[in-house]
Amino acid sequence: MNSYLNPNQKWLARVNPTLKFLTIAAIFMIYLFVHNFNVMLVSSFAFFIFYLFCNGFSRKLSFWLVTMTFILSVFSASAMVFFGKGTHMLFEWHFMTISIESMTRGLHLGLRTFVYGMLGLIFASTTEPVPFFYSCMQQLRIPPKYAYSFLAAFRLIPIMIEEYRIIRAAMKVRGMSEEKGLLAFYRRVKRYAIILLAQAIRRAQRIAVAMEAKQFSMVKKRTYYYKIGFSRYDLIFTTLILFIIIGAWIFSSYVPLTPYNNVLERSY
Amino acid sequence: MSKRLKLTDILVTIVIAIVFGLIYKISGPLYDIVKILGFQAEQLTYGIYFIAAPVAMLIIRKPGVALLAEVAAAMMEVLFAGSGGIINFYYGIIQGAFSEIIFLIFAYKKFNLPVTILSGLAAAVGSYILDYYYGYLVDLAGWNILLNVVFRFLGTMVISGFIAYFLVKALEKTGVTNLVRPASKDDYDVLNK
Repeated sequence: MNSYLNPNQKWLARVNPTLKFLTIAAIFMIYLFVHNFNVMLVSSFAFFIFYLFCNGFSRKLSFWLVTMTFILSVFSASAMVFFGKGTHMLFEWHFMTISIESMTRGLHLGLRTFVYGMLGLIFASTTEPVPFFYSCMQQLRIPPKYAYSFLAAFRLIPIMIEEYRIIRAAMKVRGMSEEKGLLAFYRRVKRYAIILLAQAIRRAQRIAVAMEAKQFSMVKKRTYYYKIGFSRYDLIFTTLILFIIIGAWIFSSYVPLTPYNNVLERSY
Repeated sequence: MSKRLKLTDILVTIVIAIVFGLIYKISGPLYDIVKILGFQAEQLTYGIYFIAAPVAMLIIRKPGVALLAEVAAAMMEVLFAGSGGIINFYYGIIQGAFSEIIFLIFAYKKFNLPVTILSGLAAAVGSYILDYYYGYLVDLAGWNILLNVVFRFLGTMVISGFIAYFLVKALEKTGVTNLVRPASKDDYDVLNK
């Protein structure tokens, strides 16, 4: 069988990509309706541990991405903490009104953002576009013309970046990057956008014509270079995820770490 | 003339979406930094996340393009570890669908500035549906919600209305849009003369 796997990859890379994506998409929906701060606290801790053991990034990149996610979580909490509604005031200063309610709600939001960020990183670090779209065609029955278009489009990214460098260098040679001010900035952005988009569309159109000629859009009787199925890793993955979600819920109903069981309640 | 999406339409849409997906990914951290102030100023730039749908639709002018463009841009953000993670995927679907509805209402026949602005604003309305659940928006102080709504709609109108429309106008001058647009009735009229 043709293998798309690199032998050094983590076990999560062997989980069926569609299954992994749908599971993570389902977890999103579940946590959208969790308003219990304790459950959120335990789950975010559990998913963080899961990420630490299972992510596919190098250590340095992982450190920066986690830091970014953490900062993002703090930021997404800030508006709610500072300006949320609430009656039990902790701190007041001009516009700023921090109450117990707004604080727990804000922290809840922050943790939720953190969980979603961790899940996104787990998925992104262990899923290659090629197996993902092959799996979409085979398991989700996505028409090949969509899946192959995505794959071809991904191949164009390095070319676009190269083109961006060339345009920048060409403009530098002509002294066009020297101009300052808002209007010059607008003109520069417009110039880049037009050139990059126009070139990308031309190239995409040419590639598409070639792909259509080679029957990439054919649906009937298709064979696939990579066959993607299910394995025991899929079972391990779903069991672990279920264990975290249910475990966090049971743990916090027996051992509530904080008194805030519903962040949407108006009074405690 | 077939109104169904061919491989060419799909590939061009996705490539346009990827260009904007890269912009989404770059603007993500900037957006997050402005967020800390808490005065909703970041909402002024929120409109950038709706731009892929109207631009792709104005270029290709076929049913389904707006939705596909927005979902593709979101998918690209998820696969390349954009900030926010999996949530982008859902925002992509809902914003793309709302954007698409406006073009559908005009039966995919009108592609002028007001329709472009409307489609951006529709995407903004769509984004509030998720925000209602995800961000507990209604539990913010009244003035803060008002700022949020006003800033988001203003920014959307400018970015995914005016900028999207004039970007495509400028692209039309380069001639690339003729490559990918379905032949219009005017084109056939020219042949019949």
